[in-house]
Amino acid sequence: MSRREDDVVAADDRAQIYEPGYRPYRGVRLGVSHSVWALARHTAERIMGLKRPARYKVLPFVTVAIAYLPAVAFIGIVALVPNSPRRLADLIPGPGHYYGFITAAIILFAALAAPEALCPDKRSRFLGVYLSSPLNRSTYLLSKAIAVIGVLLLVTVGPPLLLLVGLALQNEGPHGFVDFMGTVAQIFAAGVSLSLMFGAVSLAIPSLTDRRAFASAGSLLLILGSGAITSVIVFGLGGPKNVLALSINRLPFELALRIFTLRGLPTGPQDGFVASAPLSTGVVVGASVGLTLVAAAVTWWRVVGTEVTR
Amino acid sequence: MPSVAAPVVTGIDVTKRWSTTQALSGATFAIGDGVTGLLGANGAGKTTLLGLILGLHRPDSGSITVFGQDPWLAGAEVRARLGYAPEHDALPPDVAAHDVVRHLAELHGLPRREATSRASDALWEVGLGEERFRPVGTMSTGQRQRVKLAQAIVHDPELLLLDEPTNGLDPSQREDMLGLIEHVGVDLGMHVILSSHLLDEVERVSGSVVILESGRVVADGRMAELSNTDPELVVELDRIDGDDPAPALALALERGGLVATADGPRRVVIALGSPSVYDAVRDALADGGYSVRKLERRTASLEDVYLASAGPGRPE
Repeated sequence: MSRREDDVVAADDRAQIYEPGYRPYRGVRLGVSHSVWALARHTAERIMGLKRPARYKVLPFVTVAIAYLPAVAFIGIVALVPNSPRRLADLIPGPGHYYGFITAAIILFAALAAPEALCPDKRSRFLGVYLSSPLNRSTYLLSKAIAVIGVLLLVTVGPPLLLLVGLALQNEGPHGFVDFMGTVAQIFAAGVSLSLMFGAVSLAIPSLTDRRAFASAGSLLLILGSGAITSVIVFGLGGPKNVLALSINRLPFELALRIFTLRGLPTGPQDGFVASAPLSTGVVVGASVGLTLVAAAVTWWRVVGTEVTR
Repeated sequence: MPSVAAPVVTGIDVTKRWSTTQALSGATFAIGDGVTGLLGANGAGKTTLLGLILGLHRPDSGSITVFGQDPWLAGAEVRARLGYAPEHDALPPDVAAHDVVRHLAELHGLPRREATSRASDALWEVGLGEERFRPVGTMSTGQRQRVKLAQAIVHDPELLLLDEPTNGLDPSQREDMLGLIEHVGVDLGMHVILSSHLLDEVERVSGSVVILESGRVVADGRMAELSNTDPELVVELDRIDGDDPAPALALALERGGLVATADGPRRVVIALGSPSVYDAVRDALADGGYSVRKLERRTASLEDVYLASAGPGRPE
């Protein structure tokens, strides 16, 4: 029985509906972990534009749709043209190579999501209200990271998983349950690593500003700019190939390829005769961990240093 | 310092410095139950003090306790018992008031179902029941201030911190807001710290006051105790044959054993030690043939207390 029903008293002719309104709260109070999840859920909703006017939903939903579109198309091709002369199914990429088709969608989504998570709180100074709750700066940041990484999983895990399931239903996927589950595990591992790295980088930039547009532009500039600069150094100037490990638009996908035990991207021009060796797995893993930690440290340092009441 | 039963917040010699600005310097105070005004000019250290109570900063020296706990060390535990409405317009404009308030209730540990029903209750309580599903950005300044109050009380805190809650309100809205604050403090039984630079609004709703001046506490205690100290009798006289009568009357009263001072050429202020002072003043006025324009018993207002203790950067 709800509390409002408790308040209805019907004893005799003088009975009336008694509505006392606000009353002391004597129910359960959950701990800090509940607060962390509440903020993470609220932030994820904000990123996706939920419970907000329609214009806020357009970009995130379009970006997510772009990430799923190739998977839907590939499954459709396999389903509709099952026995073509050249076996179109042989040309369909597996989940490991799928990221090559949605690189732009993942980078764009990361550049849009994280600024929406951090910037409004700083700009409106709502951060002070959050920190007047049981959350502190570390748990606040944890909530935001969970939200950003969580929504990034929508585009890093969801599409290859859909492709895998779709292909499996058409008898074009891994053979046997063990292979199937192994691929699922690879998809989750690759998706989580991509989300962690892009999430960390895209949180670091908004932590430096309170303006969403600057943060999104800055994130894109850093991700794409690092790729362009390192390519010029390695491919144009003949610099050491390990410099490519500093390419933020390349490194996370290199790691994903290694998780799928696939050969990484070449580190030199592919002219048909000279196929240069990819970066070593040790360099890729080390650089990935280092990049994520540096980005996380920058974000933590900035959030801890933000003044809320003075 | 006046005795305060079971202080909710105590500060002992609290100092806090922001780079080149000394926000608090040796502030010692005790805040008890009911509504307490935190009064001071802009820059007096009020918001810094609220930040220390919330455990957002650590004092450079001295100690501060809230419900007997150090808010810096027991931050989450202390803040679960606090509600806070900031001075600035911090609410997200594109979110419905109900969603904001429910979200803050959840952050303070309420399960989602309870948070939803209490968000409605809190918004009804502040007079926004019919407007609760409107985006905050479409609301007036007065309504947004009410939403801030609702999000601060939704989880039924024991102590409510309100930082300049009447900022930007017109006189009518301001009166409504002060009525709400009084209601929260008296009827809902929450302890309230009302930070303000406006003397009259603190005087209007507060049972106690802490007056800050340049980071120092210059007065604190119950309003009744502060304003009832040294009641005075003020006598205003007409001129007699062009002469100023006040010095002569003050002299006559002092000769009669009273404490009297001439406050200007025609005004005399007499300390009211006992009821017999009235008789002595009456006799002195009759004997001297003075023409009385005004006779008034005066107790010190909060402004008097403030002016007596604080410097030039006074509240309005």
